[in-house]
Amino acid sequence: MLTTIVPLIGRRLIASIFILLVVSVLLFLVLHVLPVDPAAMSMPPTATIAEIEAHRREMGMDQPLWDQYAIWLVKLLQGDLGTSIHFKRSVWGLIADALPATIELAFLSMLIATVFGIGGGLLLFASRGSYAEPAIDLVTIVLLSIPEFLWALFFILIFGVALNVLPFTGRLDADLRLPEGSNFLLLNALFSGQFAIFWNALKHMVLPCFALGIAFSPAIMRVLRSSLIDVYQDDYIHLARLRGVTETRILLGHALKNAILPTLSLMGVQFGFLFGGTLLVEVIFSYPGLGSVMVDAVRNADLPIIQAVGLAYCVVVLVINTVVDTLYLVLNPKLRAQ
Amino acid sequence: MTGLAALCAGGPLISLNSPALAQGQDSAVIGWPSDVPSWDPNQRFSPDSQPLFKLVFDQPLDQDPALHLIPKLITKWDMAPDGLSLSVELRDDVSFHNGDRMTADDFRYTFFERIKAGHAVDTKSSFGKVSDIEVQSPTKAVMKFSSPAPTAPTWLGFLGSYIVPKKYMESVGVEKFREKPVGTGPYQLVEYQLNSRIVLERNEKYWGPKPAVRRVIFEILKDPSARVAAIQSGQIDLTINVPVRDIARLQREQSLAAEINPITRVVLLQVRNDEGFSDRNVRLAAHHAIDKAALSKAFYAGSAVPLSIPVSPGSAGYLDSYKFAYDPELSKKLLAQSGFSTAKPARIKFASTNGHFPSDYDMARAIQQMWKKVGIEAELETIEYAKYFELNRAGKLPEATLYSWDNASGDPEIYCGYLLNPKLPMSAWKDPAIGGEITRLMAATDNKARIEGWKALAKDAVEQGATIPLLQSVQTLVRKKKLAYLKYGNGWVLANSMRWS
Amino acid sequence: MLRSVFRSSRVLIGLTIVGILVVCAIFAPLIAPHDPNEQNLVSILLPPAWSEGGDPSFLLGTDSLGRDVLSRLIFGARVAMTVAVLASLGAMIVGAVLAYIAGYFGGRIDALIGRAVDVWMSFPPVILSLILMVGLGVGLRNVIFAIVAVDWTRFCRVIRSEVLVVRRKDYIAAAQLMGFSHPRVIVKEIVPATLPLLITLLSMEMGIAVIVEAILSFVGMSVSANTPAWGQMVADARQTIYEAPWNLFLPIFAIFLAVLGFNILGDGLRRTLDVRLIARGRT
Repeated sequence: MLTTIVPLIGRRLIASIFILLVVSVLLFLVLHVLPVDPAAMSMPPTATIAEIEAHRREMGMDQPLWDQYAIWLVKLLQGDLGTSIHFKRSVWGLIADALPATIELAFLSMLIATVFGIGGGLLLFASRGSYAEPAIDLVTIVLLSIPEFLWALFFILIFGVALNVLPFTGRLDADLRLPEGSNFLLLNALFSGQFAIFWNALKHMVLPCFALGIAFSPAIMRVLRSSLIDVYQDDYIHLARLRGVTETRILLGHALKNAILPTLSLMGVQFGFLFGGTLLVEVIFSYPGLGSVMVDAVRNADLPIIQAVGLAYCVVVLVINTVVDTLYLVLNPKLRAQ
Repeated sequence: MTGLAALCAGGPLISLNSPALAQGQDSAVIGWPSDVPSWDPNQRFSPDSQPLFKLVFDQPLDQDPALHLIPKLITKWDMAPDGLSLSVELRDDVSFHNGDRMTADDFRYTFFERIKAGHAVDTKSSFGKVSDIEVQSPTKAVMKFSSPAPTAPTWLGFLGSYIVPKKYMESVGVEKFREKPVGTGPYQLVEYQLNSRIVLERNEKYWGPKPAVRRVIFEILKDPSARVAAIQSGQIDLTINVPVRDIARLQREQSLAAEINPITRVVLLQVRNDEGFSDRNVRLAAHHAIDKAALSKAFYAGSAVPLSIPVSPGSAGYLDSYKFAYDPELSKKLLAQSGFSTAKPARIKFASTNGHFPSDYDMARAIQQMWKKVGIEAELETIEYAKYFELNRAGKLPEATLYSWDNASGDPEIYCGYLLNPKLPMSAWKDPAIGGEITRLMAATDNKARIEGWKALAKDAVEQGATIPLLQSVQTLVRKKKLAYLKYGNGWVLANSMRWS
Repeated sequence: MLRSVFRSSRVLIGLTIVGILVVCAIFAPLIAPHDPNEQNLVSILLPPAWSEGGDPSFLLGTDSLGRDVLSRLIFGARVAMTVAVLASLGAMIVGAVLAYIAGYFGGRIDALIGRAVDVWMSFPPVILSLILMVGLGVGLRNVIFAIVAVDWTRFCRVIRSEVLVVRRKDYIAAAQLMGFSHPRVIVKEIVPATLPLLITLLSMEMGIAVIVEAILSFVGMSVSANTPAWGQMVADARQTIYEAPWNLFLPIFAIFLAVLGFNILGDGLRRTLDVRLIARGRT
């Protein structure tokens, strides 16, 4: 099995590196059309024009675009993402602080999307042919029409403002102290035994995670239903029925296992979208992750951050895709048999 | 003080045993609208960050709540009559958080060596003309200036003037200093999460009066509605700059006190003297078209005083007798003289912050509509506050920018002398004529003549359309009734003045 | 086929919703009771007319600048519908043309287009469109361009695989044998075969375009400040969430309704045209 999977993953990785290179070129080109002058913007207010010119040369900005790109890329490969114009901090540090928060948010949301997606998919499938089917089907279309940021605002209106039962800003209550160590707050708090913090952080994640999770579950529901319908045309379902296996066992024991594969490959794509969806949800919930950094940077026209964060999103999406592909291969009985 | 020990050792911070500290007597949680640009207090002039810096660092001079200059780290100061040197005496009982004694060497380092060394500090513009600082003893120093600097004492208690430790900063470098700042202030930084939270703990060895609240937590909540939500749900104890509209509602809450306080901050339009605004008629038309009373009524519950010059009422440089009229018909006439009309409008660009001060963006859009009615078509874009300086430096500001100027000192020089000084980063108006007059007044040593001069300059600037003053700003503040604080005329909300009852 | 399409209740519901919005968009100046930008600083944040303190001339109340919410909703439909129609058509044309080329010719050109799709797909669409808007600057034309530049892949991927299937059919081989030129085979044989899929995808893409525009205008990176847009209304209303929750609710509902309309229409089309569509990606 390994002999088939390893080369496949290797190829996938090489493709990813190629993709990242192209993405970095595109990012660089798009952002260098911008009508702002990073050299002037990163100097103290009293800088003279001559000083700015000197700084511009130092930054390599007097050179052709391709050379500038090469400089940027070489630095990037050395782990130097540049310095934020606005914060005067290393961009790498900014991303390292923010990314764990976004990853936690995305993973929990995906978990919720998966649970709702699979549950809803089974329900959809079970309702096929019944009177309830059109109604349930309509509900999924309605759900499909509400993007995550509308859910987010809606939840704030209901649970935050009207009922005032759940927090909707930040990662922790103001009187709690962030534990030392990694910014994977939930894991960190859990493993260091600070359950009060863990519980509080979890409460802060309920609304944003449900907003994202619910928004991305209908697509999963629908794929699961249609792959279940496909699976049910196979002979072994008939055989199982003939053997007197109950419908529930057929569904959960046999069919689901086979229908999950196509669903999985969709979830890979969905997870990429969901990861992008965190951007707005973070802004709405004042959640200090990559999205907040990005939107701030956009408002400040902070090019080094925009470039690096854009690339960071790509890296995460590519990693997710590779993981999903690997899982797909590992779980796929046909490939395992080879 | 585990936090202190760890901070000094430069090692990892050890978290306190109990994570869920009870809110109450011992701590206060403050919802703050913006983060510090960095923990190097000399680096950027950011009015919103001053109340934060003042907790971790000390200024050479300070202001009392009525804005008089008072001693702080400097006990005595004496300006030479020619304005070319300032001798100061420093306290001898002050230590930095890491235990190092604060001396005149640190003073020299902060206001001279850093600037000469080319550190990226905005204090370069306030102390750039310091030619040397003579250290006579650990507590005595003389500041020398290359040209007269009568307002140097004011600046020692103003934006960005905080003494930083020479030895520590030189040994760890500026980059590390920003991560682990060390000051002499009543609090020290124990936890910092960019754009999210700042945790300060009382400096038990502070030389001055010890704060009553041991632990102060600043939650950075950029969104005004998030601040309202947080104070209402009791997650924070005090916050500022909530929408004025929310104040009346919050006043009805049993446990909360909600205030609207006029402060020394003015809201105005900073304008350029070129491009779409090169024509004086257009600038004046833009000014006459704005109904300031309506703006105050709509967005500040009528509590913000409409202004005719960019100086706050009650301060020394204010001109009671002068009024600039709201007159849209006159605007149209002026525009017609320059060939513009509603059918063929003058086109300009206009920038505003969104959420930097109460109702800023709403006000900008209201002004945009008022202009449209007389024949000025403004393209509005929103910018972050810090970007104003960056754009100005690059010469890329739009014709008009909605701006709020904080003159914590109340001195007239720090209104027009800064707002219109072509040499300074806050001025969009780059006119050498006004610049010359400003230089003259800045060097003037007779106080009465100086203040009259500033009044005349302010009026003249308004009449040629070099500035469009709008309103005296108000600060909204909501707090738990039990948390008292000291009210400063410039809107400083200082945690070391807070006390639970 | 056409008749069955119009017999589908989903298609009818979808068309009705979309139709209403399109009428609002086209005739906005006639329908709207006020100028959507007309400010009324003395009557700020009025509640809807039927509730206490409401003013009958402002049916759905006013916003934080005293502008009529109903008029802004109606005018907001203009931006939403313009973007929905133009951006989706643009994305469809770019995506479909590339898909036909890739699927029909195969080989190196197919690999190249496939790679391009891979590169694009590695970007969360929201992030890519935001970055594009940073580079292009705000404005309706740029929003449309950004959405086309981001979403063409949605069409390209799906249609390419459909083309691969169609291409193997006998009648294509027959057409080729008869010596028809490649463009002719594509236009006359392949395009019609993929038309149902194309129409269905188009309808769903319109919903996505509405969402993307709302997101961009929510973060202030879409049309300029004096063009009413639903996303902007949401952003404004968020500042007054306590005093005027209905101000937040109304534009949310408008966005939802538009997306729902396109989705129901798309779903109805999919069923009646018998298109098999697996995934529908989100923004």
